[in-house]
Amino acid sequence: MISLREVGLVYPNGTRALDGIDLEIAKGSFVFLVGHSGTGKSSLLRLLYREQKPSSGMVVVDGVEIGKLKRSKIPELRRKVGVVFQDFKLLLDKTVWENVAFALQVTGAPTRDVMRQVPRVLDLVGMAHKSRVFPNELSGGEQQRAAIARALVNNPKILLCDEPTGNLDPVNANEVVDLLHRINLKGTTVVVATHNALVVDRMRRRVIRLEHGKVLADDERGLYHGIESDIRPDAEDLALAARVRSGLG
Amino acid sequence: MDWGKVQFFLGEVWRNFTRNVIMQVTAIGTVTVMILLLGTFLFAQQTLGRVGGDQIAKIEISVFMTEKASPADAQRLMARLKSDPRVKSVTYIPKAEGLRQVRERLKGQLDTSLLTSNPLPDALRIRVVDPNQVHAVAAAVGKMPNVANVEYQRDFVERLLRLYDVMSKVGFAFIVLLVVTAAIIISNTIRLTVYARRREIAIMQLVGASSIYIRLPFICEGFLDGLIGAVLAVLLLGIGRWQLWPKFVSSLPFFPLRDAGSDFGTFALQLLGVGAIVGIVASWVSVGRYLRT
Ligand SMILES: Nc1ncnc2c1ncn2[C@@H]1O[C@H](COP(=O)(O)OP(=O)(O)O)[C@@H](O)[C@H]1O
Ligand SMILES: [Mg+2]
Repeated sequence: MISLREVGLVYPNGTRALDGIDLEIAKGSFVFLVGHSGTGKSSLLRLLYREQKPSSGMVVVDGVEIGKLKRSKIPELRRKVGVVFQDFKLLLDKTVWENVAFALQVTGAPTRDVMRQVPRVLDLVGMAHKSRVFPNELSGGEQQRAAIARALVNNPKILLCDEPTGNLDPVNANEVVDLLHRINLKGTTVVVATHNALVVDRMRRRVIRLEHGKVLADDERGLYHGIESDIRPDAEDLALAARVRSGLG
Repeated sequence: MDWGKVQFFLGEVWRNFTRNVIMQVTAIGTVTVMILLLGTFLFAQQTLGRVGGDQIAKIEISVFMTEKASPADAQRLMARLKSDPRVKSVTYIPKAEGLRQVRERLKGQLDTSLLTSNPLPDALRIRVVDPNQVHAVAAAVGKMPNVANVEYQRDFVERLLRLYDVMSKVGFAFIVLLVVTAAIIISNTIRLTVYARRREIAIMQLVGASSIYIRLPFICEGFLDGLIGAVLAVLLLGIGRWQLWPKFVSSLPFFPLRDAGSDFGTFALQLLGVGAIVGIVASWVSVGRYLRT
């Protein structure tokens, strides 16, 4: 579903954000992308929805080679790839229903589809009862669930989440990750960039750890701070990991 | 027909349009002024053109024959001139007729009974098809046999032709200036709307809206600015045409103004078209520039 070969990304200002990335993400899998701030998590996701082109190497998403994708074909890719951000990016002058419908309407979907798909995804994320409410009247968790509904309304094959729990308290964060898990169980490939150790450790799913734009570790059933044998984390990280595992957070 | 789609689209256009009312009013007002000036200018040009055309149509070249030329020579010359495609008409004026016309013209100013003999030669009067060819035709006729002298209102013709030339050049520059000004102001308005809607645009791009779908509401906004401005201008021009112009004409009885052109409908449609096209092009360029960067 997603494949990266020797991928490098250098921003115009000379920052080398990604360097020699090799990755395979299978259809239907659930993957965490972790690492310190500035290690290239967002940059990697940006390649997958063609917000950025790789500077070198090859990125393939659902059979589409990103580096060679024509500008006019970008919309087609984006309909197959839903994206969710830390700051939700909801339109404040539209209700939840309108925000979700917007994603379909601007792709020219017939009204029949809008009327069918919007209730379906609002139901899926548990926001049906809030469909007439404006984003400012919602909690962070509810806003993020509305944003997830918008990302899903096109029935994408892949859902990319960049720090989806970054603005949420632990309870809401867990709810959102549970929701992502349920979405994954319905067959959508989910990639979550996060530095929320709690949710990563709770899930025990594949964890890809980036550092300075390189893949440092890739564990099939990983923890946020890695499996002890793989890496030697610094003292502070170890202490945090210990607290997490003993449930103190 | 998918009315839900239409409703959504019109809603988006309306949202754009009402987001910054002051800017819309500025853009519409600019178009109104542009179309108003354009319409007035074209109307003035057309009216003056008609007056000038009437005058030019009256321009004649008088050809005087030599003393010894016979009426047969005059007839031969006349036949030759008639075969010239630049010549519209030729009239033969024998010396007797010429004298009668002079007497007529000078009646009351001079005692023409003093004219006992006829000093006038036989003459021809020529009208040309295109006033620009008056000089050429006059020069050619002057070189023909049996022709003593050629006269025409050289100064008048030249001045009229020069006035026409200047008027159309100045007019063209003026029109270009007006259109460019209106286009810049509309495109600025659209740029502000685009800026105000950058979040929407970012989300549209994120969820895979095609570029035409992203552009369309802005193009419609520009179109509305142009069209509404033009409609207002056409209304004002209509008032001028039916309320002010007749009063103006009747206040200048000595000036050879005829009635204004009757085809106001076509004229109005053309002006509406100009307004709409300026609006569409200006917004197209403005959104395109934003989306490309
Ligand atoms: N648009 C950009 N232009 C230049 N440098 C950028 C840009 N976006 C990110 N970077 C840089 O690239 C590196 C990786 O950033 P990012 O992918 O945002 O990391 P993360 O999401 O892991 O925090 C950082 O050094 C960051 O400063
Ligand atoms: Mg980031």
